[in-house]
Amino acid sequence: MSASQFEPLPMTSTQPTPPPAPSAEPNPIREAIAEAIAEHKVILFMKGTPEAPGCGFSARTVAALQALDTPFAAVDVLPDPRIRQELSAISDWPTIPQLFIDGELIGGCDIVTEMYESGELAQALV
Amino acid sequence: MPSAEDIRQRIETAIPGAQADVEDYTGGGDHFRATVTATAFDGLSRVQQHRLVYEVFGAEIGGAIHALALKTQTPSKTQTL
Repeated sequence: MSASQFEPLPMTSTQPTPPPAPSAEPNPIREAIAEAIAEHKVILFMKGTPEAPGCGFSARTVAALQALDTPFAAVDVLPDPRIRQELSAISDWPTIPQLFIDGELIGGCDIVTEMYESGELAQALV
Repeated sequence: MPSAEDIRQRIETAIPGAQADVEDYTGGGDHFRATVTATAFDGLSRVQQHRLVYEVFGAEIGGAIHALALKTQTPSKTQTL
């Protein structure tokens, strides 16, 4: 007797549907962050504002961008801890600041400073 | 509270062949500066290299370790001919 003689088991219709993946749940903060990254050529997520940075690493990153006369969007992560949480989930990067150019994570303060000093940052901003 | 030596050992244990120089630059056990040299960084972008080091500490970064300033490089870059 061959296997083809069996009726297909009716299991698929009775199995519970798997729960949706976490990423399928609506997440307005994450979506707003992703949208902001996509919409701005240069965007910096930082503590405080460019005028009043809330941390030395953010201040140094702002200074590098300002030294190159680059217009950039800035997002203060301090008002709501979820901004930082969702940003790090998107970028797979644990610290603040985070600089994005053309939708891509360039890095934090160390990388931005290194790239500023080597001239690579100016090139990336063209 | 981790010491610079703890941080150095953890990086060198987690990343095969890595050599780390770590400094606790405030003396408070929560702000560190590390230069890490590893062949494992070969062919990776700076972002990917830093991620490898951050991953050693997971949620401790931004928690117990308030700051870990990083400079990463491959051995070939430090060799003088």
